[in-house]
Amino acid sequence: MAVNGIPRTASVEDRRTLAEFLREQCGLTGTHLGCEHGVCGACTVLLDGGAVRSCLLFAAQLQDAEVTTIEGLSAEDGSLSPVQQAFADHHGLQCGFCTPGFVVSVTAFLSSNPAPTDGEIAHALSGNLCRCTGYQGIIAAVKAVAGR
Amino acid sequence: MKPAPFQLHIPSTLEEAVGLLSQHGEEAKVLAGGQSLVPLMALRLARYEHLVDVNRIAALQGIAREGGWLTIGAMTRQTTAEAHRDVALVPLLHQALPLIGHFQIRNRGTVGGSTAHADPASELPAVALALDAEMVIHGPAGGRVVPAREFFVSTWTTGLKPDEILTAVRYPVWPGHCGFALEEFARRSGDFAIAGVACGLEVDQDGDVARAAIAYFGMAPTAVRASAAEAALVGSPARGADLAEIARLAASNTDPGDDIHGSAGFRRRVAAHLTERALERALRESIHA
Amino acid sequence: MTFAAASSRLVGSRINRKEDPRLLTGRGRYVDDVVVPDMLNAAFARSDIARGRIVSIETTAAAAAPGVVAVLTGTDLNPLLAGPIAATPTLGMGSPGPHKVLADDEVRYVGDPYAMVVARSRAEAEDAVELIELDVESLVPVADYTTALLSDERVHPQLEDNRAGGMVQPLDDELRTLLESAPYSATDTFVQNRYLAVPMETRGIVAWWDPGRMSFDIWVSTQSPHDVRTVTARVTGVSENQVRVQMGDVGGGFGQKAYLARDEQIVILASYHLGCPVKWIEDRRENLVAATSSRAERATVSIAADQLGNILGVRVDHIDEVGAYPMAGSAAMMGAVIFTGPYRIPKLSFSTDSVYTNTCSRAPYRGPWQIETYVREQAVDSLARNMGLDPIELRRRNVLQRDQLPYLLPIGLSLDHVSPAETLEQAAAMIDYDGFRAWQRQEFAAGRLVGVGIGLYIEPQSAMGPYAAEPAHIRIQPDGSTDVYLGSGSHGQGIETTTAQIVSENVGVPFDTVKVHQGDTGTTPYAFGTGGSRSGPILGAAIQLAARDLRSKIVEIAAHQLEASPDDIEVTGGVAAVRGTPTRARTIGEISRSAYLDLGALPPGMEPGLETLKRYKTDMPFLFSNACHMCTVEVDGSTGSVRILRFVVSEDCGVMINPSVVEGQIAGGAVQGIGGALLEDFIYDADGNPLTTTFLDYLLPTASDVPQIEYGHVETPATTPGGFKGVGEGGAIGAPAAVANAVNDALHLVGARVREAPFSPARIVEALEAVGR
Repeated sequence: MAVNGIPRTASVEDRRTLAEFLREQCGLTGTHLGCEHGVCGACTVLLDGGAVRSCLLFAAQLQDAEVTTIEGLSAEDGSLSPVQQAFADHHGLQCGFCTPGFVVSVTAFLSSNPAPTDGEIAHALSGNLCRCTGYQGIIAAVKAVAGR
Repeated sequence: MKPAPFQLHIPSTLEEAVGLLSQHGEEAKVLAGGQSLVPLMALRLARYEHLVDVNRIAALQGIAREGGWLTIGAMTRQTTAEAHRDVALVPLLHQALPLIGHFQIRNRGTVGGSTAHADPASELPAVALALDAEMVIHGPAGGRVVPAREFFVSTWTTGLKPDEILTAVRYPVWPGHCGFALEEFARRSGDFAIAGVACGLEVDQDGDVARAAIAYFGMAPTAVRASAAEAALVGSPARGADLAEIARLAASNTDPGDDIHGSAGFRRRVAAHLTERALERALRESIHA
Repeated sequence: MTFAAASSRLVGSRINRKEDPRLLTGRGRYVDDVVVPDMLNAAFARSDIARGRIVSIETTAAAAAPGVVAVLTGTDLNPLLAGPIAATPTLGMGSPGPHKVLADDEVRYVGDPYAMVVARSRAEAEDAVELIELDVESLVPVADYTTALLSDERVHPQLEDNRAGGMVQPLDDELRTLLESAPYSATDTFVQNRYLAVPMETRGIVAWWDPGRMSFDIWVSTQSPHDVRTVTARVTGVSENQVRVQMGDVGGGFGQKAYLARDEQIVILASYHLGCPVKWIEDRRENLVAATSSRAERATVSIAADQLGNILGVRVDHIDEVGAYPMAGSAAMMGAVIFTGPYRIPKLSFSTDSVYTNTCSRAPYRGPWQIETYVREQAVDSLARNMGLDPIELRRRNVLQRDQLPYLLPIGLSLDHVSPAETLEQAAAMIDYDGFRAWQRQEFAAGRLVGVGIGLYIEPQSAMGPYAAEPAHIRIQPDGSTDVYLGSGSHGQGIETTTAQIVSENVGVPFDTVKVHQGDTGTTPYAFGTGGSRSGPILGAAIQLAARDLRSKIVEIAAHQLEASPDDIEVTGGVAAVRGTPTRARTIGEISRSAYLDLGALPPGMEPGLETLKRYKTDMPFLFSNACHMCTVEVDGSTGSVRILRFVVSEDCGVMINPSVVEGQIAGGAVQGIGGALLEDFIYDADGNPLTTTFLDYLLPTASDVPQIEYGHVETPATTPGGFKGVGEGGAIGAPAAVANAVNDALHLVGARVREAPFSPARIVEALEAVGR
């Protein structure tokens, strides 16, 4: 498996999820576990470019996969990606726990649909739960990146 | 919330996978997209000694048109199907796919996995049932084809034997003047439906309904057809049909349960409303097709 | 180089948050990210019945399971308890116990922990939990709080009945007569559903008792790190200076993490017992079933008005549940204090019972007393309907006007510096209330059910007891950079940012050079914790006092070194300069360096150093913010589903430090309130079994379920330093009432009414069918 472009070889217990592998064996703790049953979206990562729940995949299934986590979305010098910057500019986060999942989901969503409608934005965001923001700043951030 | 221990097998061929299932019998389970199975395992509501991961079997992937059929390999991801040109030939499937979970779920979830999981509240079993799709199955004795009407037995239970794998779903492409509509009601976007209906109608040259399919999800322990209502529609003039009455008839012949989201009566009311709306849409489309 | 523009008016600016770059790039540090060498992982064995007598707990098989280090029951840990487990502010208030952390005689709710497995990994711990054999004799549970006082069963057998607290206020004759003989009155019973805090980060703790160093290191997801230290010392018997608690980033709390519950205390005791670090990260099912419960209240409200629509008096009979082992109990008393809220209501009678039930224990949740607004606002609508008045018109006749302040509440408390009339009118204008009424009639003629609802309220910030004070410690380092140490900490409120705004503006240093430290008892001054919406008014005041104190010292040093009068020194952008002569200036770094290292350059007699610790304490028992929520909804007459069309909030939280943070608090609270009114419902069946134990059944609102929230601001400064008021809870207080009233305004068009929340499709359909629709 390659994680954020770095090849990783490890032996894992069969039941270990991708999320646990990333957090505990790669030290990439930006991927958060909010429910471990595939609803909250905090653990969302990119698997071969598509957003998926990393709590619903077993690491051992993904031998040749390319995985990108929240840590892999900002530039090497630490500067924020356009999606990350928009979240900061529009107060799209408070406690920050759900935030990595949102940023990863939004990054994937906007790359497949760069000019979404309001309805498409709300629909696309509905697979991630946030308890702090009431989604207001998050929606504003997505609109900003989409140039609206 | 961690699954109980299991051994993960990752076969690369169908034969190998069926061999593993034969070897481990009831203790083994096929792991497709895992978007329904893994949560059940994490909650320890389901546990298996062996998981047979079929994600690497190339023969289970792909979408093909053959004659009047669209065949979708069981392990085709729902987002892949959603974006595929030919899937528009089966409008009910085309309408159903975006309603499954969320895009992150559909990126991993598969057409065959969701169908074989046979959740009574999910869309794909009802679509297969409405269209009289065929289930292509592979087991130790080779292949067999089972019509959708015989495939869905009960909640999470199908006609698949423990050592069999659903390899593809074959959807008939309805010819002629047809219309299709899928309507569902859920508490939130992406949730399992409280009630849902998939309707297909074909209108003949005289303007009469030649074929009608109404299949419910969330209204019984499995997806169900509303046969009496279908029969009442067929042969009658498409324009002027009392759709509200037919919808009521269709919904009244269901057997939903009571749960925290509502009583059986509530579900039937909602189902009747959805059915009327779906029939209207399907009829309008078939007349103009 | 000049920083002047950057730091001149920071209070009130929508500056980006300091927290965000780390949180956006996955570099936050939450408790589950903490890894300590040789750390073990814990999982609880929890009761799966609501009530039962424990016959035996067999742990042999579990103890022999792979990876297991210990299986601990009450026999192991309860005797270690050195002090009461109750929440610190309730000590001495006669909590019935259990005074033990693990159930050993009786399990009292589904989720009650009776054993804990400590293993190498959490997965192995969960495997072993399944091997623990609990022999339990099922008992009849007290599952329904509305009948708990009539039940022959006792949640706590040593108590006379299931009453946990309450207040019976006899109805005086005058109010009785008023309610019976007033020209207009309304009496309704309203039920609020049980819904929960549900922070996205569950609870969690790493506790490490190091027997060699004789000290505890604790990392925990909490709102109150210093109280965690106090509790740790209390339950283990070590002294507080042997305990260091760090909270790191916290993924939301909303009251649930205000007090250290039994679960975390068990982990602390286990580490103390085993002498090694133990981690417990609550999973989501545990969080829903066993963390804390909230809401679940019923009130019967009678309200009366005279011929002109002047409200004469209100009577409230209220009951709520506190579950089996409440950490802080009911907040109904606070509800009684503020019940008449934004209106002139001369007479009030408020009776309340809080009852124990065999359900999860109650803890504070964002606006714990909000039942007052929830039922008062619906009662006002009822009264308006009975009078044939528009609900807004009845409010206009009774809302407190500015010239009527201060207003003596019936409870004897003075209400001042609030603006209920202004927020009511601002919200009405924003939503175009009158225009909506016309549109509503037109839409109804076309078959649509749309409605508008109002939630007008006063939001009290309790400043009683330990809540009255907050400290702020500021140190300017020799290089001129500024450290701020806070005893309370943010769990999403952006306190690192708002603190830096206050410090930057009031000291005169650049925002970027201010670093805020919080949540570490090793470095920060004692504070009771973040909660009660006190970070704005009380912590904010402390920060402002400390910042101004430092500025004075900077001015004094600069005046001395620049040979100018202190009155002529300006400090801005990190530079102290003589007014009108910018070349005569010293940077903060130069001044600070001299304060520590070049002591001869200080004014004679001045204490060296450039740091200060200030505690602000208010003498007022309550501070008050206020707001008005207004929303419009459409009810689908076929399916009963509700769609919010517009949602407007006019808020007065005094001086805003950062309007974006304020709006974030409003929106977050409002959406929790919308969730509670429409979607969220933690349901127990008649046997006390929870039915909504995953995120598939417990329905949090998603981005598709929420309206765009529109904000209006009224600014009535508080009398505290800075003039800030609390805004953390109000959103969650006003929204449920506004939604309830809007739904019923729509249903009123066809003569239907729903008095029990949530306003689910099924419940609305039931109401529609009751009127033949």
